Amino acid sequence: MTARAAALPALALVLVAAVLGVQLVQGGGRFEPLRPADPCVARDVTSQVDGIEGLTERLVLLGVDAAACDLRVGREALTLELAQREPTDAQVEALHDGLIAAVGRMRDDGTLPPASALVDEALDSADLNGLLEAAIRALPDAVVDAALKTDDVLVRAVDGLDLRELLASLDDTDDLNRQLEAAITRAVQDSLEARVRDLI
Amino acid sequence: MRGVRRAVAPLLAVTVALVLADSAVVTLALPDILRHLDTSVGQVAWVLISFNLVLGLLAVPAATAFERADPRILGALGIAVFAATSAWCAAAGSIEVLVVARCLQALGGALALVGCLELLVAEYDERRGVAAWITAGVVGTAAGPVAGGLLTEAISWQAIFVVQVPFAVLAVPAALAARPVVPDATPQRHRPAVWPNVTLALLSAALTAALFLVVLLLVEGWGRSPATAAVTVSVVAVAALASAPLARLLRPAPAVEVAVGCFLVAGGLAALALLPSAHLGWTVAPQALVGLGLGLSVDRLTVQALELRLPRARHAGWTIGARHVGVVVGLAILTPVFTADLQDAQVPAQEAITALVLDAPLEPQSKIAVARALGDELVGEEGRVPDLSGAFARLDLAPDERAAAADLERALDEQLERAATRAFRDSFLVGAGLALLALLSVLVPRRRGTP
Repeated sequence: MTARAAALPALALVLVAAVLGVQLVQGGGRFEPLRPADPCVARDVTSQVDGIEGLTERLVLLGVDAAACDLRVGREALTLELAQREPTDAQVEALHDGLIAAVGRMRDDGTLPPASALVDEALDSADLNGLLEAAIRALPDAVVDAALKTDDVLVRAVDGLDLRELLASLDDTDDLNRQLEAAITRAVQDSLEARVRDLI
Repeated sequence: MRGVRRAVAPLLAVTVALVLADSAVVTLALPDILRHLDTSVGQVAWVLISFNLVLGLLAVPAATAFERADPRILGALGIAVFAATSAWCAAAGSIEVLVVARCLQALGGALALVGCLELLVAEYDERRGVAAWITAGVVGTAAGPVAGGLLTEAISWQAIFVVQVPFAVLAVPAALAARPVVPDATPQRHRPAVWPNVTLALLSAALTAALFLVVLLLVEGWGRSPATAAVTVSVVAVAALASAPLARLLRPAPAVEVAVGCFLVAGGLAALALLPSAHLGWTVAPQALVGLGLGLSVDRLTVQALELRLPRARHAGWTIGARHVGVVVGLAILTPVFTADLQDAQVPAQEAITALVLDAPLEPQSKIAVARALGDELVGEEGRVPDLSGAFARLDLAPDERAAAADLERALDEQLERAATRAFRDSFLVGAGLALLALLSVLVPRRRGTP
């Protein structure tokens, strides 16, 4: 083959190799949707808000991770399932256990806020006897933290939640908030009352 | 009178370009036609398929008719039918009427194409006439999607058909005024050139991926406007034109030129399957490869199929038939592949969107609002890539959250682009495979030593 005859095939080879090479180096073939992370691998979760709402968000994110790991599905797949369909008993149970596990994890890694940081917010929305509420507010933070354990409150709250009803209310923000706040407030209240009564 | 004579050949060449542009001219208009005629995706695809199928099937019978009729009369009749049915396409009020009009437009187109070849040869000579006919066809094929996209964006889908009418109307008297065609002195009958036509059909099927799927990816997958898509795919037409000086410079053997053309089309389609992002710039080099390949191979194959074969009109019919049956075969193979892949892309896309919303730096209430708005937007988008801007436009967020929401919207759009790009990958690879089959068909006869 003469040089002239080989020129066009050689040019074509160079052009195709150059285009494919540059594209592969720049990520060609890997331009795909984000792959869901393994829910069994612990991840850090944060929230843009403080207080009970922020704590609830972190708890839910960790709880869904734990539930998805338990059910051997992706966190996103479980979230979509729960948002689109009536949850199965296995999903409800896994979610309950996942939330309890999330409380344990937050306690162990020291990310649970002290109870004193949540008391004022809980009391604001609680329907307590005025005298009892004033008495609780007057307590120093150190006393509150010694008397009330956040993990105990959260476990009580998770146990008190009707998760099936909660999931059915995902489209109704007010109802969702009402259920969450009621469960957490009730748990704080129960725990505080139990402690105060024990102290008295 | 000399001025009129000078306009004959250019008008006939424009007619050839118009008819072959019609093969792909409506690609960018399909979403508009779908909405305007209130039809389904499956039905609107027939606006494309019907024209190519009828043109592919009727090209040889139309060419046979020219053996017994005056090419000027039959050619003018074909152009007139093409003009009238183009106007009818523009006026169509239902998808059924549009598809019937497109079938008749293809019938007129088949007569016009063969007639224009005979008349161009009569105007110039055998070599120049065939060359003008082939060049006009390549330009029309490559420029069709560009012209269709620009007209749809600037005016409407009907404009695509309306603008063809005056050119075709002017070409009718041009055909009648053309020099009379000298009948063949020797009533020779050559067999059709099988391998060039087989290669042409396979290459046309492969080019379907480049000419149709790139447009769909840009408009439906990446959400670009038809005009932007039109400008982007014009790279194919420009590169096809640039192939002629390249071939003149390097002067390869015809078989080498065709083989290299097929290889470049395969390489370009493989590169389209491996895009590293949804930036339009990344599509330029792969499309340039496809355009160069198209320019090097299609006209050379057409020459090989026609060269020294009589009757010329019938062999021209075979090349037209091979090209358009190839387009239909390409659509038949590629459409189910990318439709199924687009469907399969929904789950990973939804999961990616869910992950981003869950981890977004927004307040919990805002995340729930975003999720609800996205859910509403995704309803009824089965099989199509959704536009999420509506969901974000409806959100009532606090001012300090708007920047984070805008970032989230961009991230979600990128996930959709990633999912769409991934969904088209297999189709482009199938197209590349068809181009490699075309390359194989160039090499096989040579190994056997057949001419």
